[in-house]
Amino acid sequence: MITRRSAFKVAAGVAATATFGATQGAQAADKVVKIALEMSFTGSDATSAVRAAQGAQMAIDEANAAKTVPGYKFESVKFDDGTATAGQYDPAQGATNARKMVSDKDILASVGPQMSGVGKAMAPILSAGNLATITPSSTNPDITDPKFAAQFKPQGKAIYFRTVATDAYQGPNMANYMAETLKIKSIYVLDDSGAYGVGLADAFQGQAEKKGIKILGRDKLDPKAADYSAILTKIKSLNADAIYYGGVGQAGVKICKQAYDIIPKTIKAGGDGMFGADLLTGAGFPAVEGWYATQASPHVVDDPKLAKWSKKYTDLYKMGPDDYTVTSYDATVIIIDAVKSLHAAGKPINRDTVRDAIQASKTPTLQGTVSFDANGDLVNKVISVYQITKDTTKPLDDPSSQYKYMGVAPMV
Amino acid sequence: MTTTDLLLQQTINGLSLGAMYSLLALGFTLVYGILELINFSHFNIFMVGSFVAMMVLQALGIEGQSVILTGLPLIGTLLAAFLATMLVTGLLGVGIERFLLRRVRYVKGPAAMITTIGVSYILLNVVLLTAGADGKNFPDPLPPIQFAIGDAVLRLREIMIWVIAIVLMGGLTWFVGFTRMGKAMRATAQDPEAARMMGVEVDRVIMMAFFLGSALAGAGGVIFGLYYNYTSAAVGFNAGLRAFTAAVLGGIGNVPGAMIGGLIIGVIEAMGGQFIATEWTDVIIFSILVLVLVFRPAGLLGRVAPNKS
Amino acid sequence: MSVTTHPSASLSAAQKKKLGLFLLTLFILIFPYVHDNDGDIDSMANAAAYATLALGLNIVVGFAGLLDLGYAAFFAIGAYYYGILTSFQVMPLWSPGWAPLAALGLVEKMNQGGPDLVHFTLSFWIALPTAALVAAFFGVLFGAPTLRLRGDYLAIVTLGFGEIVPIVARNVDSVTNGAAGLNGVQAPHLFGSSFGVSATPYYYVGMALVALLIFISIRLRDSRIGRAWMALREDETAASAMGVNLVRLKLLAFAIGAAFAGMTGVFFVAKLQTATPEMFGFPVSTMVLVMVVFGGMGSVWGVVLGAAILQLLQSWFLKDMSGWVNAFGDMIGVQWLAHVDLVQSMELIFGIILVVMMLFRRDGLIPARRKQPLLNFEQQHAEVRRGGFVGLDRIPKWQPGRGNALEVRGVTVKFGGLTALNKVDITVPAGGVVAVIGPNGSGKSTLFNVITGLVHADGGSIKLEGAEILGLAPHKVLEQGVARTFQNIRLFPNLTVLENVLIGQHTRLRTGAIAAVLRLAGTRAEEARALRWAMDIIGLFGNRLTPRANQIVTGLSYANRRRVEIARALASRPKILLLDEPTAGMNPAETLELAEQIKSLHELGLTILLIEHKLDVVTTLASTVVVLDHGDKIAEGKPEDVRRNDEVLTAYLGRAVREAVKAEALAESANVV
Repeated sequence: MITRRSAFKVAAGVAATATFGATQGAQAADKVVKIALEMSFTGSDATSAVRAAQGAQMAIDEANAAKTVPGYKFESVKFDDGTATAGQYDPAQGATNARKMVSDKDILASVGPQMSGVGKAMAPILSAGNLATITPSSTNPDITDPKFAAQFKPQGKAIYFRTVATDAYQGPNMANYMAETLKIKSIYVLDDSGAYGVGLADAFQGQAEKKGIKILGRDKLDPKAADYSAILTKIKSLNADAIYYGGVGQAGVKICKQAYDIIPKTIKAGGDGMFGADLLTGAGFPAVEGWYATQASPHVVDDPKLAKWSKKYTDLYKMGPDDYTVTSYDATVIIIDAVKSLHAAGKPINRDTVRDAIQASKTPTLQGTVSFDANGDLVNKVISVYQITKDTTKPLDDPSSQYKYMGVAPMV
Repeated sequence: MTTTDLLLQQTINGLSLGAMYSLLALGFTLVYGILELINFSHFNIFMVGSFVAMMVLQALGIEGQSVILTGLPLIGTLLAAFLATMLVTGLLGVGIERFLLRRVRYVKGPAAMITTIGVSYILLNVVLLTAGADGKNFPDPLPPIQFAIGDAVLRLREIMIWVIAIVLMGGLTWFVGFTRMGKAMRATAQDPEAARMMGVEVDRVIMMAFFLGSALAGAGGVIFGLYYNYTSAAVGFNAGLRAFTAAVLGGIGNVPGAMIGGLIIGVIEAMGGQFIATEWTDVIIFSILVLVLVFRPAGLLGRVAPNKS
Repeated sequence: MSVTTHPSASLSAAQKKKLGLFLLTLFILIFPYVHDNDGDIDSMANAAAYATLALGLNIVVGFAGLLDLGYAAFFAIGAYYYGILTSFQVMPLWSPGWAPLAALGLVEKMNQGGPDLVHFTLSFWIALPTAALVAAFFGVLFGAPTLRLRGDYLAIVTLGFGEIVPIVARNVDSVTNGAAGLNGVQAPHLFGSSFGVSATPYYYVGMALVALLIFISIRLRDSRIGRAWMALREDETAASAMGVNLVRLKLLAFAIGAAFAGMTGVFFVAKLQTATPEMFGFPVSTMVLVMVVFGGMGSVWGVVLGAAILQLLQSWFLKDMSGWVNAFGDMIGVQWLAHVDLVQSMELIFGIILVVMMLFRRDGLIPARRKQPLLNFEQQHAEVRRGGFVGLDRIPKWQPGRGNALEVRGVTVKFGGLTALNKVDITVPAGGVVAVIGPNGSGKSTLFNVITGLVHADGGSIKLEGAEILGLAPHKVLEQGVARTFQNIRLFPNLTVLENVLIGQHTRLRTGAIAAVLRLAGTRAEEARALRWAMDIIGLFGNRLTPRANQIVTGLSYANRRRVEIARALASRPKILLLDEPTAGMNPAETLELAEQIKSLHELGLTILLIEHKLDVVTTLASTVVVLDHGDKIAEGKPEDVRRNDEVLTAYLGRAVREAVKAEALAESANVV
């Protein structure tokens, strides 16, 4: 029976063990370089987290196997910023993870986080610890915006690097594409109430207005609601040329299906949240047919040079890669390459030097040669446009074959 | 699109939504009428129902939009899906009552309601952990027939929902009004002690109420899946809140009230999305809930205010 | 509040407690210096935040019994309050009117390359208490609509508000930056230096906050306010009839609970330096509820422990535990165990905890109710002293007022089509005893209910010593001096005898929430006086109740429970005591004893109005008897007269039997003659 006394005893015991036991990072394994993988392994973004983490792990395993940096072994340490409470990423947990990462002296760099909400909480802490992180998918521009430097990098140096272009480009470039290439005259903009979706839709809408596209309206969808027929009917009645959806698959799948029923002839476009296997399996053909989606990175996935890499990934993990898998892999490659260059130059290998090396890097990766500007953003900001076109010769849930590359979206 | 056509279309949308909410609301109201217990797990039983139906249809070989049936095969398939799902969810509801809720039935205070919250979380997470959080492509065997009324569109699936909902609600009304068990349920709802003294096996009645209510929730889940060709672990909460508001609006414990409440909420949701904005729909629904509970707790058709201590 | 003391046992228990507390405090103070992992210190700080949330919800759910499912709304309100007033989100144009605020340090003038703007720089230390007030205001606002709702409905309405707040935060993005969340929330400053990003200063602030709120919770719990909350949790109607102002106390519970959450919001956001609407949804409200249920509803230390365990489990230990379980699964070859990820299953674990706790251990980890002191052998086998009251001399005589104590004139009560009371007139003279009798369904209890304000009257007037009391709320009626007992005994089931009786004094005491927390000399003196008075009243029943003063009332015999109910009513020093079938269910000896005791109350000057079925009790006690039948008064007069009254006999017995009785009576008198 649990009595008050026994409850206190247990609590005391646990507290003692935790305090005096679990201090990590005590051993100085001098030949191990730890790379943190900070992603949302719990909750609604879990599947893409797993894909991205596997991409990073692949890079690490390859580097170890090939002894890319002689005398050094790379190890990944996973940190989960998703909590059951939030049901998805939790900025508070991300902040705790950032502190843990900074406390662990063996962690010299990190890949992640996936979500910008976490990134905002983590950045100041990482800056204080001068621990560089490369995010494969966080696209909110504020974090690397010099305007907010005092908040997100209080120590002055960039520590938040990205292998994706930000929403500042993804949305507006697509607006350019829709205006110039697709010749859209009127559009209705939707978002999924989430941080990513709202930011993306806002950026898109701003540029679309500048390009002379008439904005017929803007609505927030509730990703938990099942029925969007009311808003889609409203859009139908306004005779919009197109709709743009900023957001992820949770609402995206439903919008896809219901838009197919209600506004089949309207042109439909979304951001990189609409690029993924979850759309293909969740919404399926014919509903997804014809949707445009963008990727905040150069066109990679069905590049023949990439087919080999793609196949290796699929064989290893029994699932196809998506674009964030690639950017995650690339981020890890950049970190490994930075360590390699430091080793080759005989410099000491610690957090500060690794950060500097990342900052100065010019690394050949799957998405081309990657280098960073002073803020941590990609120098080559490319937004690739895709359209879902059914290819019956390939598996219908494979993004690399069902999303047809349409070209680069015109730069702002 | 002319305004009348637009209004007509939104009304069609609203009534279809409403039919689903009515079915869910009926389940709530059945249990509440007898036990005065708000069963939080009810809407996740609805969600489980849609997954069960999905598995049944997939087992019958229907994937995505690949197979389209008409006539007898269609009716047969739908019947199979409905019966199987309603049986499974009905038994699930009975199981929850028999093994979990019965133990806290007479405990004063929030114990029973908290238990239902716990069960709700368990159901949600079991599905989440086994099926994942992604939306699922629910099999769609319905032929894409539709009728045009001016610029408004009435699809076969809308007619299907209404027909099924009417049949189910009619069946329930008949059952409650004209069968012995139904009479026993009504008696228990009014006065459990007196009913017991008249020889009514109250435990059996309660199990039947849970069975019927959960079966209806399951049917709602099947309809949901067929209508949207979509389901996910998360669909329960949202639908449940609206269904609960519908039940309260119509008068909790009142069967026709639940039906009317459901239709009203569905139409409000559709019109709200058209004329106000979708982001405020939840706020509107909740406000209705609060206003009804504060100013007219008996609802539109209820007579007994839920204030008994 | 232990009256019966076992000297040696309690001393060491108290000492043990003090030692435990000291060690805990020491541990908390030195923890960051012993354990240098900043992430773990951060986890502890987060645990502190959840502990304060649990403490706040404990007041609402645990003390007052109001099931709030939308508690996170107040968390959000506190968070956004601080966030908006310290970030760059809301920047109105500068005008000279802002200058005085700038002088106070609350705002500063800023220029970002355009017109001058106002930048809010509310200090963290000012934000903490002011957020409490803002949140308390919303607590009252959201609580007000729920006042007349029953438990389940109250929960749903609070759930609604809990959903509305994050939606509003998301939609009104000019003020809150919507879904993207606030940027640049300022960290706290102490003596000029900022807290920065290290978790340690936040850890200490968090722990201090927990300590403060534990202190406040305990003070409130052991005060007049805490007792009143528990009374209303146990039985609202009885609480109201005993003088508890339901509206005020419910709103107070909501307000204080919300205030705790508001402060936590400020702390949490100051640490995180950002706030998004998703941080405050239903899952957070649920988690805090799970913590409270797990730890023990109503138990202050319990909920802190529950919160600490669940939060630390999630953010610190679960990963390790997952590893152990996986290794174990590998070892015994159970595939499922080897692959289960406990972190992902946390929500499932929450659900299981809720169900398991409700089914098997509703009291939680650390039950709120301490173990009751057991009666020793002597007390159990004590010879019960039968007879009248003991120690009556300690009770001051009642001073009956002039004229009639109670005047009921033309009171009518209708329930739908049924007339329960039809223009009934009753006069109770000061210091007198009036009995109301009548067949079942005649309206006797309705009469009591309408006098005490539990039922609405459709006409008439009720005057207590000349002052109109018809239409007053029940607690006001008690305050005026009308106390009652109930036909089917409505005690507060989970409270002790002493606590039940003390609640009778609720209106006579003055300590409010703030005084309860401060517990100055005046409050302490008042509590001591109340305790003495309660013990005196309990002592009237001799050794029946005194040894059981700290027993939970559900364990008492039926007769003893009746006595406690009477004691509770007496504790309020009423001018008139309404007893509804006080001897129901008692055997003849007990009936006689109670009748004697009621008589002694009458001799003390207390006016009594009594419903009774036992005619010998009526004859012994009452000077006047009133007979009701189907809502009408059909007779009034001395007991002997009423007994022979035709109409009364018909009402009770039916005409045929009445004739028989009359014939018999005639025959008797004929025989005598």
